[in-house]
Amino acid sequence: MLFPTAVPDDLSLPAVDVDRTFGAEFVDDARRYERFFYVDWILAQIALLGTLWLYARRGGAFTRESSAGPIGTGMLLGMLGLGIAWLVGIPFRVAAHWWSRSHDQTDLSYLDWIVQDWTILGAEFLSICLALLIVMGLARWLGERWWLPGAAVFVAIAALFNFVAPYLDFTTKPLDDKVLLADAARYEDELGLASIPIRVEEVSKDTDQANAYAFGLGPSRRVVFWDTMLEEPFSKDEQRVVLAHELAHHSQNHLPEGIGWFALFAVPGAWILMRATRPRGGMGSPQAVPLTLLVVVVFQLVTTPLANVISRRMEAEADWKALQVTRDPAALEQLMVGFSETGLGDPDPPAWAQLVLGTHPALADRVAMARAWSFRDSP
Amino acid sequence: MAAVAEQRPIRLVVRDTELRRSRLTVFFRLFLAIPLFVWVTLRGIAAFVVAFVLWLAVLIEGTTPQSLHDFVAGYLRYATQVGAYVFLAADPYPWFRCQADYPVDLEIDPPVRQSRWTGFFRLVLALPALLLASALGGGLTNGSSGQSWSASSGGGDEYAVWYAFSSGGVAAVAAFLAWFAIIARGTEPRGLRDLTAFALNYAAQAGGYLLLLTPVYPTSDPKRAEPYSDLPEHPVRIVVTDDLERPRLTVLFRLLLAIPHFVWLLLWSVAAFFAAVAAWFAALATGRVPLALHRFLAAYTRYGTHLFAYVYVVGRRFPGFIGRAGSYGVDLEIDPPERQNRWTVLFRFFLAIPALLLASALGGVALVVGVLGWWYALARGRMPEGLRNLGASCLRYSAQSYAYLFLLTARYPFAAPVLERRAEPEPDPSPLALPGDAF
Repeated sequence: MLFPTAVPDDLSLPAVDVDRTFGAEFVDDARRYERFFYVDWILAQIALLGTLWLYARRGGAFTRESSAGPIGTGMLLGMLGLGIAWLVGIPFRVAAHWWSRSHDQTDLSYLDWIVQDWTILGAEFLSICLALLIVMGLARWLGERWWLPGAAVFVAIAALFNFVAPYLDFTTKPLDDKVLLADAARYEDELGLASIPIRVEEVSKDTDQANAYAFGLGPSRRVVFWDTMLEEPFSKDEQRVVLAHELAHHSQNHLPEGIGWFALFAVPGAWILMRATRPRGGMGSPQAVPLTLLVVVVFQLVTTPLANVISRRMEAEADWKALQVTRDPAALEQLMVGFSETGLGDPDPPAWAQLVLGTHPALADRVAMARAWSFRDSP
Repeated sequence: MAAVAEQRPIRLVVRDTELRRSRLTVFFRLFLAIPLFVWVTLRGIAAFVVAFVLWLAVLIEGTTPQSLHDFVAGYLRYATQVGAYVFLAADPYPWFRCQADYPVDLEIDPPVRQSRWTGFFRLVLALPALLLASALGGGLTNGSSGQSWSASSGGGDEYAVWYAFSSGGVAAVAAFLAWFAIIARGTEPRGLRDLTAFALNYAAQAGGYLLLLTPVYPTSDPKRAEPYSDLPEHPVRIVVTDDLERPRLTVLFRLLLAIPHFVWLLLWSVAAFFAAVAAWFAALATGRVPLALHRFLAAYTRYGTHLFAYVYVVGRRFPGFIGRAGSYGVDLEIDPPERQNRWTVLFRFFLAIPALLLASALGGVALVVGVLGWWYALARGRMPEGLRNLGASCLRYSAQSYAYLFLLTARYPFAAPVLERRAEPEPDPSPLALPGDAF
């Protein structure tokens, strides 16, 4: 139910000469640019795992810094663990930001970046407190049987968040491009969708990168364009492809499917957590919280390749549907070239990088899909 | 009988125990003080020029010449006397020279040897003390009445009022409230006078340190500067059992660690609002707050104290979420419900406004304590005792104010920055009759 795709099973992607398609010199630059992030990411993960391993062993000592009850103390330990991980990650994030700035990929000043970084950390603190409140509350109530209702609660929260998030969005404004809006209406008809609001998020002050995304469930569904996507160098045809791609996410129910996949990961994840924390007194005990952080991060790392496979499959399906409604493979191909240029993205990243970091098909693969559609379905 | 602060190189002497004030001069106090402002400013300019010479002397000789020291000390004493007059802590007009027997005065030790290093960096080293002095608003001794350090907010009239208060800090708010009390009764509430004296004392110490009269850093510890004041019996008391150690990691993330507490406080505040309204109706009807409501509101007030003690680094440990008595190192003791006068219950909100105004100004001091304490604790892994105690006394006043607002007590908060009662308290010179009396 979660894995079927509109992309034909027998579709074979033609080989793409990336140097010719994207420009040999540019591909070299993009590879050099991305290589830095790969190294930075690997080092950051090693540092994170090492830190959390140490914290899992010694973090329990911080219980004496709390006058709160077990759950409050667990929250403190959870927040401190995140805080330590954040501290350890600073050099890697600074390096990544410096690298982005030095390649004109972001205009965000270091001061704004620091403020943003602290804000994100604050939101993470609040999230982990909520998560620990649920898990520890259930564990103290139900004992070791907490994992099944616990997973269900998290899935319900994910669904609720997906549904409510669009209503809490006060940063975007409605799209006022009449041509694109008319195209949207046509695509919605073809995709069998009811009218979906198209909105614009202003990010051009901070970055030149372009993006768009779909979010919401049922009546709260939205498509959001970054304003950078609506400017040069992207043509109207390319913007149409993006629009069709995002609408396809809704028509193919990718967001509900994503929640379904989350449920499939959450249940075994919660069970593993229950088993792993048993020697520390289980999830009802604050002493287990430092170990919990390590287990969650390892679980995420281990399951990331599988999650990426699912994500890439959905993105490929959205591309395919976009080709079917726009009938413009040249625009998709040109869009990928444009993405690569604006984001300095490597069109054909190494297989391992695509495995652990690739949430979307490689740009070269997306170009290949556009060409495959031409061979197969163009009149 | 004069009360003198503990033997520090710069000490405030308070000889005025009767607290009587002339209504007429108090009514026109600010206008009467205009010539004093001009004169103290001129003397201040001269003192700063001489202080530069003192600075050179410290760098070269390691000590300051007696005559120049006396000149600057004279300015500091005069500015303190003018400050006391302006902020209503004293009644006689100070005229244009130091009065030997002025009711609020300074004692300043003769020059001593000073480290050339701390002398060289004196201006930088004095910044935290000046920041705190500005929040306390001892007024005229730290160069600019604290204006350059004051926070500001909003716009229009709101801005003007806030600026007027913030430029004088807590002392200005205390004087503002004392002005009404004196016009009505002819005496200044003891707590307000003691609070102003504390602010003047700290400002004098900070000014003396800045102007190189002493190498001793100012102390903000109410325990060391409170011989002229004592804490009267009160149903809401703060109890500090915490140590001064502060693990750097929990200090670094202190504000972020408090985020779940802020969310919880917000939710609890909504419930507390309705509980307070219910308590008000119940107290109006029966003259007493029902025990269940009293417990609920007491727990809320205690929780707020725990939380802000943690946020301002006054407390060490992460507080609990239910405001349980005895669960935190900076705790509140709240007596059981008592019978209350229905008239004061009826007008409780309006009666609480002056206390809340002062609590707000003291909240500014607590914020400065938090900022300075955060940096210090991050560097040294411990909180200075003086800052901790000052923060705790600000929290005590705030807790007493909210306890009064929430009908947990009929007793008005006591403004002097005192933490605990002395073993043998002196008789209170102004027995309580009206709520405003206690301050």
